[in-house]
Amino acid sequence: MTRKIARRLGLVLALGAALGAARLAPAAATTPYKVVDGYKVDEFTMTGFRTWRAAACDRCHGANQEGLVGPSLVESLKTLSKEDFVKTLTDGRLDKGMPSWSTNQQVMGNIDALYAYLKGRSDGAITKARVEPMAAESAPAS
Amino acid sequence: MTIAKRTTPWWCVGMAVAAATPVVHANQDVERNIADSKNWAVQAGDEYNQRYSKLNQINAGNVGRMQVAWTFSTGVLRGHEGSPLVIGDTMYIHSPFPNKVFAMDLNTQKILWKFEPRQDPAVIPQMCCDTVNRGLAYAENKVFLQQADSTLVALDAKTGKVVWSVKNGDPKLGAVNTNAPHIFKDKVITGISGGEWGVRGYISAYDINSGKLVWRAYSTGPDAEMLIDPQKTTTWVDGAIAPVGPDSSLKTWQGDQWKIGGGTTWGWYSYDKAANLMYYGSGNPSTWNPAQRPGDNKWSMSIWARDVDTGVAKWVYQMTPYDEWDFDGVNEMILADINVKGKPTKALVHFDRNGFGYTLDRITGALLVAEKYDPAVNWASAIDMRSGRPIGVKKYSTAAGGPDVNTKGICPAALGSKDEQPASFDPNTKLFYVPTNHVCMDYEPFKVEYTAGQPYVGATLSMYPAPNSHGGMGNFIAWDAGNGRIVQTHPEKFSVWSGALNTAGGISCYGTLEGYLKCVDAKNINKELFRFKTPSGIIGNVFSYEHRGKQYIGVFSGIGGWAGIGMAAGLEKDTDGLGAVGGYRELNQYTELGGSLTVFSLPNN
Repeated sequence: MTRKIARRLGLVLALGAALGAARLAPAAATTPYKVVDGYKVDEFTMTGFRTWRAAACDRCHGANQEGLVGPSLVESLKTLSKEDFVKTLTDGRLDKGMPSWSTNQQVMGNIDALYAYLKGRSDGAITKARVEPMAAESAPAS
Repeated sequence: MTIAKRTTPWWCVGMAVAAATPVVHANQDVERNIADSKNWAVQAGDEYNQRYSKLNQINAGNVGRMQVAWTFSTGVLRGHEGSPLVIGDTMYIHSPFPNKVFAMDLNTQKILWKFEPRQDPAVIPQMCCDTVNRGLAYAENKVFLQQADSTLVALDAKTGKVVWSVKNGDPKLGAVNTNAPHIFKDKVITGISGGEWGVRGYISAYDINSGKLVWRAYSTGPDAEMLIDPQKTTTWVDGAIAPVGPDSSLKTWQGDQWKIGGGTTWGWYSYDKAANLMYYGSGNPSTWNPAQRPGDNKWSMSIWARDVDTGVAKWVYQMTPYDEWDFDGVNEMILADINVKGKPTKALVHFDRNGFGYTLDRITGALLVAEKYDPAVNWASAIDMRSGRPIGVKKYSTAAGGPDVNTKGICPAALGSKDEQPASFDPNTKLFYVPTNHVCMDYEPFKVEYTAGQPYVGATLSMYPAPNSHGGMGNFIAWDAGNGRIVQTHPEKFSVWSGALNTAGGISCYGTLEGYLKCVDAKNINKELFRFKTPSGIIGNVFSYEHRGKQYIGVFSGIGGWAGIGMAAGLEKDTDGLGAVGGYRELNQYTELGGSLTVFSLPNN
């Protein structure tokens, strides 16, 4: 590939990404998470991230939810319903290596927040796995 | 707490039985099997962990003509570590979870028997880094399997029937097993995994005939439970050997953290018959967040020498006090009689995850050499030979950064300059042949709560090829342990996660994550003599045996393990601009899962 084509292709890709980002702009009213700048999230979503981290989900699903031994959650949550998400965490998929988290209070107690965080990642609205708390003034008006 | 309650009776039982055990002779059967170099009688070929075969039919001059003689599928996906054993006309083959065992008649290539234990699948997610198993042991017509769910079983080698079976840990608490059992004298020695579940590590010795626990020694806690004699057990301090003194572990932990403090023992052990000592390493302290466990966290991250009969520690040496990087000390201890700085020495050589190659006097525990075996190592500038402690570099201290701070550019990564993949020693060249990782990381610790049976990790990591180097993630090196010097480096695209084999034919062989079995000239490891692409990536160990006058070299392929599966799917970072893609992510362009054994020999003509 020549450098010129590569540059043009890069431009197209960048443009596509920008359009994609615009399309996926957070709609706080309909999503369980709130995010600005792609990685500054509300306290609820932050709790979801901390739950993800504490339960060491990254060891199987990847530091960026891209999938390792376990499936990519970015992909899975595009089709997995909230109900099935809760069921999978509660019962596990033991033969595939997914544990049951039913006895883990931190996971079960924060399952909605965990879903919010992962849904935001799957939707492409949260663009960095490592999120940070949004400052109060930068919270989008709801 | 339940863990403490559980431990005390074990030790009492251990000591009582040890005292009553009559002196027995070294296991003659194992020694006889090892002495006949047609066999591959133990996982490392011998009890010194040298991984050297005296067979020389395949040699530097003809290995280029080597061909596949036969192959065998285990029928299991996921990572295949360790190697089969060969005793006479029979090969014993193991698999990862569900831990199948096959006995194969080498004359007919017929499966004589197959054993597949029933294990609760709940154990699968309890295994931190894939469902690997590092192989079997054999002694006195028994095959020993250490199952994932911690059950240790002895099988009748003729029939595959269970002779005895014993529970070595509680998988519900995360105490599972991946290590191979080792036979030293009349005992089966086995360890435990679960450092990422807050398991308190221990090593156990069972009677080979009855399966009775003879002794168990913890890595942390009260002296009695570690089988440490405060006056007689020694360590390296102030440039000399000195008794460890009372409470050497307890006083290096805050409160009761030692009870969930890790120090697991899932590596390869070795045995010096003349000294009656066995050697092994203990792993990382739990959690990975150093802020939660101030102190040296003894005796995690340590090399241990123990009396095989009583389990009592002769000496112990901690390599990485107060670990901040997950630099497990479990890698194999290789015993070799070599010149160290010009002086003939009964040496113990150890390539630690922390990137330093250590040479100690294996009788006294004196520290003789500690040098980087990968120049990329940066977390410590050197090991202070007087104190035996690393001289840390503050920039790479994850404890100095503290929780929720991402410390970047640490070399090596948590999987170490080398992980479990064992090195070999060649008595002809007097060099060690070391499969290594060339990988660095960013490490962000965070606070975690301990819940029994739940992950207790406490850090997020990203790993990438060592920057400013050849771009690959591994090297195969030749190492002079007497002087602590890299003699030669053979760069590899991926981590070399396969146990090396050297032979009297002057070759050194290892597998690669793409799936190549490679043999190089032991005198010049940059001279590749043979390569063959096996069905999947190799994380198994190369072994050799002779049958009906023909030498064979074999290796498991079956990608997986921490390096394989963990990395194969992708390392792309979206968190910063380091652009650390490539590396392991490319692995899926070369290989897929699938366990099989490939066996090579020279053509008949």
